Amino acid sequence: MMNVKCFFVAGFLLTGSVSANESVLNARQVLAKMNHAMEVLNYQGTVAFLKNGKLEPMKYVHAAEKGVQQEHLLSLNSPLREIIRDADQVSCLFKETQQTLVDHRPFEHSFLVDMPKNLDDMESIYQFDIVGEENIALRPSYIVAIQPKDNVRYRRKIWIEKQQFLPLKVVVYDNSDVLLEQVVFTDIEVKQSLPFVDAKFLNTVYPAQPIQQTQTQSSDQAAFVLTQMPIGFREIFFARKPMHNPEQPVDHLLLSDGFTSVSIYMENKMASIQPGLQSVGAINSYSRTINNFQLTVMGEVPAETVKFIAEGIKLRD
Amino acid sequence: MSEDLNQKISQFLDNEIDPVDALSLLKKMRSQPELQDTLNRYEMISHAMKADAFLLTKADFSTKIQQQIQQEPVYLLPQQRKRFKPSHKQMAVAASFVIVAVIVGRGINEPDQPFKAASVLQVAQQPHPEKSVNPAEVPQNQLNNRINDYLQAHNSSIYTNGEADFQSFAGVATYSQK
Repeated sequence: MMNVKCFFVAGFLLTGSVSANESVLNARQVLAKMNHAMEVLNYQGTVAFLKNGKLEPMKYVHAAEKGVQQEHLLSLNSPLREIIRDADQVSCLFKETQQTLVDHRPFEHSFLVDMPKNLDDMESIYQFDIVGEENIALRPSYIVAIQPKDNVRYRRKIWIEKQQFLPLKVVVYDNSDVLLEQVVFTDIEVKQSLPFVDAKFLNTVYPAQPIQQTQTQSSDQAAFVLTQMPIGFREIFFARKPMHNPEQPVDHLLLSDGFTSVSIYMENKMASIQPGLQSVGAINSYSRTINNFQLTVMGEVPAETVKFIAEGIKLRD
Repeated sequence: MSEDLNQKISQFLDNEIDPVDALSLLKKMRSQPELQDTLNRYEMISHAMKADAFLLTKADFSTKIQQQIQQEPVYLLPQQRKRFKPSHKQMAVAASFVIVAVIVGRGINEPDQPFKAASVLQVAQQPHPEKSVNPAEVPQNQLNNRINDYLQAHNSSIYTNGEADFQSFAGVATYSQK
């Protein structure tokens, strides 16, 4: 009987000590560790992207060395694609059409999840909580809930592996708790080192077609001004560049609150787009015309948010 | 109870009795409860031999169940009417009728104008006061290309998920409610 009592006491103390250790880390600290792990670790595995009702499994490799990072993805299903992200450049080889695209994306860092560097500024708009633990790809993980404090943006959950702090699963929910998008590792391994792939080899296979070779410009050059914007959003990037054809420049202003981004596009009305709301997966867009211009606001936010922003946009005097 | 009656009960259970004798036996069982007990006992033995399992029940088990059922109250409360819930097939048929009606209506009003897919979408949308260019004049694939250009510039998910297929918000909202 004494032995049984000792067993329960030992078990109780052990449980208490584990809880005490885990309580040291709060959600923001876990997210900060995740940010760091994503930058410095070499890891590879299979990732399933579930977006727009389509499941895309891909081989994923993240190589990091001396502050330089590379993401390398290979699609497993048609249309076959090979994607390389080097710093702010994304190269994509569509193997079936033999087309290579080179895209410059200075405002993104990862295909898995883009996190703000500093979470201190986010406290007014998001609440961060560890809401549980689960195994993902056989690895024990924290479940971190990123809950907006209003209804103008979506709720997220990130499953963060407890040893290496890598994000194993990211889910975006709408305001009715319907799952909109999901990115999940089905297997993952961390390596001492992984080879970098030279993106130029894609160009040597098939001539690259550059999409955007633009530098960030001042938003003062935009043909429009914003009169209303949801709290927490700020201007991240602006460029006037051709998109559909060389003769047709489009103003593109990107807003972000750190997790959520919204794009505003304005171009000549000749490029008419169906007015009103449209939707694909987590992304909603709202289009309207202002005098001789076509305006579209698009982002992974509720429909009311893109409409709210669009209705507050006026032409610059 | 005579051996003859027991024999007949056994034959009754094995379906080896002629209908006239069976009717006579049933009448006797109604008046003699011990005959019913014998029938139950024989039935249990037969069941145990066939099923290789035995469930012990009292002789009046089935009688008590019958009594319980008879004692169950009858509910005379008015039942709630079932609300009409159209099935998916009914909804699809209804939607088809609506689309045909729209197409026919437009065909009658504008007989010279060829039908385009975009015009159906336009009907689904609320008229926009600022609209001055008819989207129906722009091919649908061109509209999608423009939206896809925007999506590509917005984030890089188009690389991991291929070309996006934008839908009118009305359609998506309906889908979400399901």
